[in-house]
Amino acid sequence: MNPAVRVSPRSAAVLGVASFGGLMMLCWPLLLRAGTGERVDPPFLFLVLLPVVIAVVLAELNEGGLDPRVLAILGVLSAAGAILRGVSPGTAGVELTFFLLVLGGRVFGPGFGFVLGCTTLFASALMTAGVGPWLPYQMLCAAWVGMGAGLLPRRLTGRAEIAVLAAYAVAASYLFGIFMNLSGWPFIAGIAVEGHEGSLSYVPGAPVLDNLHAFLVYTLLTSTGSWDTVRAITTAVAIVVLGPAILAALRRGARRATVTGVVRGG
Amino acid sequence: MPRDLHPVAWWLWALGLATAASFTTNPLILLMLIGVAALVVSLRRSDQPWGRTFRLYVWLGVAIIVIRVVFRVVFGGWVGGRVLLDLPGVPLPDSVAGITLLGPLYAEALLFALYDGLRLATIVICVGAANSLANPKRLLRSVPPALYEIGTALVVAVTVLPQFAESVRRVRAAQSLRAGETGRVGRLRRLLVPVLEDALERSLALAAGMDTRGYGRAGGATPAQRRVTGTLMLAGLVGICVGTYAVLDRTAPRLLALPMLGLGAAAAVAGLLSAGRRVERTRYRPDPWRWPELVVVASGVVVGALGWWMSRHEVAVAYPPLDAVPTLSVAALVAGAVALLGPLCSPPQSRAALAVPAPEEVAA
Repeated sequence: MNPAVRVSPRSAAVLGVASFGGLMMLCWPLLLRAGTGERVDPPFLFLVLLPVVIAVVLAELNEGGLDPRVLAILGVLSAAGAILRGVSPGTAGVELTFFLLVLGGRVFGPGFGFVLGCTTLFASALMTAGVGPWLPYQMLCAAWVGMGAGLLPRRLTGRAEIAVLAAYAVAASYLFGIFMNLSGWPFIAGIAVEGHEGSLSYVPGAPVLDNLHAFLVYTLLTSTGSWDTVRAITTAVAIVVLGPAILAALRRGARRATVTGVVRGG
Repeated sequence: MPRDLHPVAWWLWALGLATAASFTTNPLILLMLIGVAALVVSLRRSDQPWGRTFRLYVWLGVAIIVIRVVFRVVFGGWVGGRVLLDLPGVPLPDSVAGITLLGPLYAEALLFALYDGLRLATIVICVGAANSLANPKRLLRSVPPALYEIGTALVVAVTVLPQFAESVRRVRAAQSLRAGETGRVGRLRRLLVPVLEDALERSLALAAGMDTRGYGRAGGATPAQRRVTGTLMLAGLVGICVGTYAVLDRTAPRLLALPMLGLGAAAAVAGLLSAGRRVERTRYRPDPWRWPELVVVASGVVVGALGWWMSRHEVAVAYPPLDAVPTLSVAALVAGAVALLGPLCSPPQSRAALAVPAPEEVAA
């Protein structure tokens, strides 16, 4: 079946460069090399730049114009994801959203998965009071989750497919949690100032391994044990229990939505 | 005459305030910015649902400060200054080596956490102000043309949301009339699949409607135009990547840092504009952009610029030392006044008109 959102080689290049840049903006605490004694503030600039990067990728992905059917399905799935986010337990409430995101990416392909991740998080943020400095990071990470689901091997079917999707969902849930923590860590645990190291704070200029250790302890203590595990289990169980039925429904929709023929005007 | 200000103007104003907040840890300036945001929201918000979200953001800001302070108290680690409370230290086992819980609580540590938390809280509250002032549906209509399709998908998403509730009710009613699986999972599956099918069905009907109105027409960009767009976008992203790296690595040449980021962002925006030229569409009732919008945007820009200027030239005011009372400067007061004066020039939103129910509603 044709992917719903075509990813041309150029789009793939744009996606790759943008993902690399986004990853750098996410992992800045581990990359920053500052001289000693300098005042280090979180680079708030990235909060403004990341939306530009995401906008460019989205513009590139729909550069040839999206098919109205694909667009309508994108809208409906985003709305469903937003509702699922509303009824999910947990603080950031992305538990059940992931389930639909993974299945949608799987059925409609990586390009669609990327866009779906962005639109779902944006739509749900508009519904609830969720627009904030964290939104661009959430959108980018969710977009990666959707894209990754679309990149899983196509040949798998039946039980094997469900098993792989569930395993992917578990890995994606933990990675999403870790990346979101990484984006928030210097803000929540604070940046250590010269001579006053907090034990979990980010220490600019310290060796990467030291910071990584502090971060891993921080993320383990705050969320990996609780929220992320809840998210991983919920998503995996939802995929195993409801996955086959939803996949079948989505595939029926996809077959009707993707048109392969081209009309040539005389 | 009451009317809604252009949503983009509100966002730019709030981003200006947030920029100023990001350049300072002075609690007086930050509280002043929060006060201005709250005052403007209370004066200019509409009665629509999004107008009531500001309170949530304020609570979120409070939560951020509390979390930040609690972190500092529990994970201690600060040494030096006046001891406020001498709590016993609890060293953790070796598996999480190097971490000691609690320990003496220093006044400076507490203040540092408070100032830093207040800065993030101010940024969040400024974004919240924009969120409750600007109409999200109108904002979606003013997305750049290059993102036209994505914007339309979002409008579809926002519009079909209420339909799900109705769909669930219909499926429930239909299923209560016949037998079927009664197990927990079976019931859930019986409910979800028809609702999803219903939603997909509706979306295809919507797509057919859009098709008949000529929506699916492919863009008329020539290969040369498409090449220019692609080059601009790629160059912009590469520029942003290089700039990001140079900002993070302070040993890299400074020319590669902020100037490169600026160039990259400019190229990316040019790419977006160039991609937007393929979309030919007309707008139904476009939002006007008149002088109040300009004044509001200008006040946001001035506040942001003043914040940046203070962080460079009045370091003691922007980043007050932890052992002295923070002070204000003329520039800080001017920033606060400008932040408030801009929005005061905006027209009041049509609240009174909404408060009185329309005759049809009364009759119904």
